[in-house]
Amino acid sequence: MEAFGQAPYDVSPHTEPLRVLVIDDDPSVSTAIQAILSRRNGETEIASRAHAGIHALASSHFDVVMIDIFMPGLNGLDTITHIRRGRTIPIIAMSGFRLRGLSGSDDYLDMAVQRGASGWLRKPFSPQQLFEAIEKSLCIRARDPIQ
Amino acid sequence: MSEATTSLPAPQGADSVPLSIERSRAASEIGAAIAHQLNGPLTALLLYVNDLHINSDRFQDDGRRGPSLKQIAEKALQEVERACALIQQISDASVAAPPDEAAITRGRDVIAWWSRAAPGAGRPLPVTDDRTLEDRAIEANSHDHVLTRREREVLRLVAQGLTNKEGALRLSIGPRTFESHRARIMRKFKAKNAADLVRMALQTGTPADGHETKADCTS
Repeated sequence: MEAFGQAPYDVSPHTEPLRVLVIDDDPSVSTAIQAILSRRNGETEIASRAHAGIHALASSHFDVVMIDIFMPGLNGLDTITHIRRGRTIPIIAMSGFRLRGLSGSDDYLDMAVQRGASGWLRKPFSPQQLFEAIEKSLCIRARDPIQ
Repeated sequence: MSEATTSLPAPQGADSVPLSIERSRAASEIGAAIAHQLNGPLTALLLYVNDLHINSDRFQDDGRRGPSLKQIAEKALQEVERACALIQQISDASVAAPPDEAAITRGRDVIAWWSRAAPGAGRPLPVTDDRTLEDRAIEANSHDHVLTRREREVLRLVAQGLTNKEGALRLSIGPRTFESHRARIMRKFKAKNAADLVRMALQTGTPADGHETKADCTS
């Protein structure tokens, strides 16, 4: 915890701002992420629906995408599948549910990883967990040989 | 199974079992959905308060007696973390069976209805692609005038999440009478469970008739 006690902690130190796209139908979550990241050299765009998010991804550059699993319309899992068809961008899945999916012991966040998410965050999460998830997902992308 | 429920009112023993199973399933679905709804604001709180706490060294001592701002930030964080742990417990405990998207939407509807006075008042209800439910609601809509005044009252209380006992107490009638009113409404709406009932009631606008909503004052 103390590692992040040295404020201000930057998600993107000495470089261009980290561009983050948050796709979540709950504005409380997306605005809070935006606020927290903007204080740490992060630049966040918000999409309240999957389609708006997919459109945003197609029209501008992002370093990380954060996707809520439960959204009206196209859900997070299908959104991840859709994005993964053409992109290697790090994806962080988010969900408050600790539910079990229909396929036995699979949790929704596990399912998200199976569909290609680079990491996940169980809501509610702290800024520390948020930064760690972002860092980790960026490392995964850096090691990813596919382009 | 829904056949058994729609055949109410009937002798107490046989029908009270499936009804209470359905009620607990509906309560569980709605409980999970409520936890889901609270999760967003709590996530935001945890992010904000944590950030305040991380940076609380920068708070200037305002010279007041009592705990410092830094200590207050620490307390605030502890309480938010407690609330987060609670909501996780609720969402874990609520889920006996995996609720589908429709269940979540139903829970959302209930909350939307409860919170008509909230800043978002007047927004349309979330769209669902649960066609059959909507079809049934439309069908029910054409018959909703059949609901008696007492049935409307019962529906309103059921939608507020009251149990038969609580609802009966509120209306000063016996729980069995309350249950039979409720069963009759379910039959009229062709509802499978309480969540179903609430949703269709929302679509037909029935409960709002008898519900004193604060939204009227805010718009």
